[in-house]
Amino acid sequence: MKTGAKREVAFPYVIAWLVLLLLTGLSLLSAFLHLGTVAPILEFAIAAIQAALVFILFMRLKGPPSLKWLFAGAGFFWLLFLYGLSMTDYATRRGWP
Amino acid sequence: MWRRTDRCMLSRTLQPEMQYATLSQQGETAQLGMWVFIATETLFFGALIFTYFVYRNFYPEEFALAGKDAVLWCGTVNIGLLLTSSLTMVLSINAAAEGRRRDLALWLAATAFLGTAFLGVKGYEYYSDYQDQVVPAVNFMLKPGSAPAGELFWVFYFIATGLHAVHLSIGIALMLYMLWRARRGELTPAYYAPLEVVGLYWSFVDTVWIFLYPAIYLVGRS
Repeated sequence: MKTGAKREVAFPYVIAWLVLLLLTGLSLLSAFLHLGTVAPILEFAIAAIQAALVFILFMRLKGPPSLKWLFAGAGFFWLLFLYGLSMTDYATRRGWP
Repeated sequence: MWRRTDRCMLSRTLQPEMQYATLSQQGETAQLGMWVFIATETLFFGALIFTYFVYRNFYPEEFALAGKDAVLWCGTVNIGLLLTSSLTMVLSINAAAEGRRRDLALWLAATAFLGTAFLGVKGYEYYSDYQDQVVPAVNFMLKPGSAPAGELFWVFYFIATGLHAVHLSIGIALMLYMLWRARRGELTPAYYAPLEVVGLYWSFVDTVWIFLYPAIYLVGRS
């Protein structure tokens, strides 16, 4: 290690990777369990947890500068607008398709 | 990004660009810039996935039936490859932070390799889809018992995975560029922000597949 270089630890990332693979396995398993309408909710909830893990750990949201949270959250914030306002159309349609 | 006259004494005379007070500020700004781009990409893929949710909600049986023809092992292997590539990407950033040049090159090469392997599996899957006659407008045959709305699933599939593959290809090119810069000694513990920024992009492309996987491969399996 060179002078002035900070020490980085790989262990948390390896654990996160194993957890991500495990969650993928769970999602795959849930698809075959005849859960009906709960299955997609569970699968996308697992996907959201995986995405949160990737964002916070792999993409280092938890490190400096904490301003990153604002920028990362902005995309999600505007996505809520996109989904919400679009749903005002689809949720209020009658007799279509 | 640094004064060219100082390139021969890189680690000792690395200076930030004119508008930045410190190298650290320059690096952090670069990261925030990439986060802005990622926010736009979230909207880009988010809108596409929204159309998937709308049509799946309107045609649940047709989507479930169409989803059965998606090649599950390809999608599952691919998510494994991409999740592992995010790990190797982070390990390469760690290596750059600690000045371990050989490990940096190794992990970058591993990331590029895993991304290329993903494209290989995807290419085989597209070939298999063509053989199964599920390519809309090119080679699509409605299977017995399925309704025309099932073709919408495959329209989404090809647009979403096609766009994702384009993003991944750009990511692989960036990875090779980072490898080239690493070999030139331009990614040092003093400044490795370009690598962090490319890592952010790569992990985001991985996140897109995390959502595409249940959307495409886990529908209609039970």
